[in-house]
Amino acid sequence: MQPALELTNVRKTFGSTIAVEGMNLVVPRGALCGVIGPNGAGKTTCIRMIMSILFPDSGELSVLGRRSALEAKDRIGYLPEERGVYRKMKVGAFLSYMAQLKGVAAEDAASRVPRLLQDVGLPGVEGKRCEDLSKGMLQRVQFIGAIIHQPDLLILDEPFSGQDPVSVRILREHILKENRRGATVLLSTHVMANAEEMCQHVVMIHQGRKVLDEAMSGLRRQFDPRTIHFEPLEAHASPASLAGVLGVERVESMDGIYRITLLPGTDPASVMARLAAALAPARIELARLRLEDVFVRIVAEGPQGDAASKALRASVTEGALA
Amino acid sequence: MKPSLRRIGLVAGREFLAAVTNKGFIIGLLIMPAVMAILIAVFPLVLNRNSPPVRGEVAVIDPTGQVAGSLRSALTPEAIVARRRESAARALQNTPAVVRDAASRPAAMERAVGAPPQLTITERPANADLQREKQWLTEPVATDGPRHLALIVVQPDAVVASAGRTEYGTYELFVPENIDDRIETELYDAIRESLVTARIRAHNMNRAEVEAVMRVRRATSVTVAVGAERETNLAFNRMLPFAFAALLVFGVLIGGQTLLTQTVEEKSNRVIEVLLSAVSPLELMAGKILGQMAVSMLVLAIYIGIGLFTLMSFAMIGLLDPILILYLVLFFLISYLLFAAVFSAVGAAVNEMREAQSLMTPIMLLLMAPWMFASVIGREPNSTFSVALSFIPPVNTFAMMIRLGSATPPPTWQVLATMVIGLAAAAAVTWFAAKIFKVGLLMHGKAPNMSTLMRWAREA
Repeated sequence: MQPALELTNVRKTFGSTIAVEGMNLVVPRGALCGVIGPNGAGKTTCIRMIMSILFPDSGELSVLGRRSALEAKDRIGYLPEERGVYRKMKVGAFLSYMAQLKGVAAEDAASRVPRLLQDVGLPGVEGKRCEDLSKGMLQRVQFIGAIIHQPDLLILDEPFSGQDPVSVRILREHILKENRRGATVLLSTHVMANAEEMCQHVVMIHQGRKVLDEAMSGLRRQFDPRTIHFEPLEAHASPASLAGVLGVERVESMDGIYRITLLPGTDPASVMARLAAALAPARIELARLRLEDVFVRIVAEGPQGDAASKALRASVTEGALA
Repeated sequence: MKPSLRRIGLVAGREFLAAVTNKGFIIGLLIMPAVMAILIAVFPLVLNRNSPPVRGEVAVIDPTGQVAGSLRSALTPEAIVARRRESAARALQNTPAVVRDAASRPAAMERAVGAPPQLTITERPANADLQREKQWLTEPVATDGPRHLALIVVQPDAVVASAGRTEYGTYELFVPENIDDRIETELYDAIRESLVTARIRAHNMNRAEVEAVMRVRRATSVTVAVGAERETNLAFNRMLPFAFAALLVFGVLIGGQTLLTQTVEEKSNRVIEVLLSAVSPLELMAGKILGQMAVSMLVLAIYIGIGLFTLMSFAMIGLLDPILILYLVLFFLISYLLFAAVFSAVGAAVNEMREAQSLMTPIMLLLMAPWMFASVIGREPNSTFSVALSFIPPVNTFAMMIRLGSATPPPTWQVLATMVIGLAAAAAVTWFAAKIFKVGLLMHGKAPNMSTLMRWAREA
C-alpha cells in the first residue's frame, strides 16, 4: 500500500533563507509520527507544504496517494499552529460550518457536533459564542474541527502548545483514539516529552534538515554509554567511594540515586563491575536515552559546534518546561 | 483542485449571515432613511417653529397720491398670504397634485416661509425732507415695538408717464441694515402690484381684462418615448441620475467595507489557516465576494423598494423607466466585482484595519471620483467628457449610470461598450487581486505597501 505521506528531496526557501532542504520523509498508513525540533526548525513549513498552503521550490510530495493535499482535502484533518475561530460565531455553528466545508452533510454534522463536544469534556457549549470560551476550551473545539469529518490523515501542528495539563491529557487520548480508528497522525511539537510518550516514530528536524528518523521502540533501546544510574543498597551510603573508581569522571546525587558520568573512551562494563565492588548496589544500569539527549547529541556532533548545541539544549529544555 | 461550488456557496452563506445578523449592519441600514426622514420632516419644523411674525412700519412718500392706498391693501397679511400661495402654486406646477396640495395649505406655507409680517403703512407728505426720512430708518426703537422697516419713495411720473415719454417713472426703496430678505421680496411684490393697479386705473382700463390678455398658461411638456408618453418632470429628471449614482456607490461601499473588515478579522483571528485546510484561497475569495454581494443586493433592494414605494404614494411611479433599475443592478454587479476584488486583496494583505487605511485612500478616491463629476455629467450627459468617462474603468459604470438617468440617455452601443469594458476591467482586477489575496492571507508582520503587493502578484 502507498504510504500516507511521502516527501522526496523537498526544498523551500523564503528569499535568501533556506527553510527546508533535502527533506525525505515516508509516513506509512496508520502510523503515529512525531515531528520534533526547536522553534524555527522548519516543522511548520514542512506541514504547510504537505497541506499545499505553501509550495516547495523543488522536490516531490505525495499525500494519501495524491500529488497534492488539495486533491484529498476532505480526507485530511488539519490543526494549524496559527489557529483561530470566528469570535462571534456560536461553537456549534462554527464546527458544523467546518464539517460541511469538508464535505460532511449538514444533518451528519449536526449530530456529530454535540457528541464530540461531550467526548472532549465540553458538553452543551454548542450554543455559546466562541469568544465566551476559555483558551483551553477553544483548543479542544478546534481539535474537533480537525477530526469531525473522520479524516484518513490527521496533521496537528503543535497541538499541545499553550494547553493546561487537563486539556493536554484529553487531547492526547483523542489523538490516540483517532489513530486507533485508523487515521494516520502526523504531529509536530517542540516539547520532546510529548512525542516520546505518544509517538511510534519520530522525525527530528534541525535547521531545515532531517537529522533523525527512527521508530520510538528502537530509540528506547538505545543507552547512553557514558552515564550509569546507581542505586545503593543502603540508602545513606556515601558516594565518595564511587567517585574514586577508575574511569569515573563525576558523580551526581539525585534522590538517593547516583548519576555517574564516565570519562570518554571508558568501557562501561568494566566500570560497572568496579562500581559494584566499591559499594553494594540495589540497582545498577546504563542510563536510557531521552529524546532530548538524542537530539542534543546529534546536534552537538554536527558541524555547528559547541556553541550551537548549548543554545539548542537551552531551547529544548525551555520547551520541555513550557 | 477544481473549485467547488458547494464550498463557495457555504463560504458565501456564512459571510451573508455573519453580515446581516450583525447589529451594526441593521443600524447602518436604518440610518440613511432615518436621516432623510429627519431632514424632510423635522428640520423645517425646528427651523421656523416659534419664530414670531415680523412687526414693523413702512413709510411711503407718494407725490402721485394714487399708490399709497393700494400699497396699504397689498401689504395686509391676507394679501401677502394670497400672493405667496400664488407663487408657490407656480413653482409647484411641475410637482404632482399630492405635493402641490400639501405644500399650498396655509399651515405648510407658514411652516416653510414663516408667518406673514404685520406691517403698518404710514404716509409722509409729498414734500417731506428725504434726508430726515432716511434717518428715521436708523432711529433706535423699543425692543418689542414695531421696527422701522422701509422707506418707499414713489416717483412723480410713476403712475402717469411724463409728457412725450413712453416709459413710466419708478420708485426708490430704502431699508435699514439686517432686513430679512423675505420682507424685501414682499415689498417689491406689493409695490409692483400697487403701481400696476394705479397705472391701469389711470388709463381707465379694466384690470381683469388686461390680466386676461397677458396670461398665457405655460404647458407642461410631454416626454415622448417609444410606446409611452409621460409628463416631463424637471425636478424629478434632475434628481434621478444622482439618486442612481448614489445607490451605486452606496451598494459598492456597503459590501466592500464589510468584505475588507471581515477578511482582516479572519486574518488577525488566525482562523484563515484553519479555513485554508478546507477551501482553496480562490474558493474563499469567491465565496466572500458573493456573500457580501448578496448583502449589498439586499440593501439596494430595500432602498429601491423604499424609493418605489415613495414614488407610488405620490403617484409618480410612471415617471420612472423600469429598465433603469435593471441597468442599476447590472452596473452595480460590474462595479461591485471590481471593487470587491480590490477590497478583499487589501484585506488579505494587511494585518489590521489601521494598516488598511493607507492602501484604501486611493481606492476610496476612485470610488468617490464619480461624485466630483456627477453634476458635469448630469448637465451634459452626451458631451465628449461624459462619453469618455463612461469608457474609463472604474468610473465608467458610475458615469454611465448618471447618463442613463439623465433626460437625454446615451445610445445603446455606448451602454453595451461600458458594460463590456467594465466586465473586462473587473475580470482583470479580480485576476490580479486573487494573486495578492493568495499570498497575503498567510503573511504576517510588516504592513505591505503598494510595491510589496506588486511583488506578491508577480510571485504568485
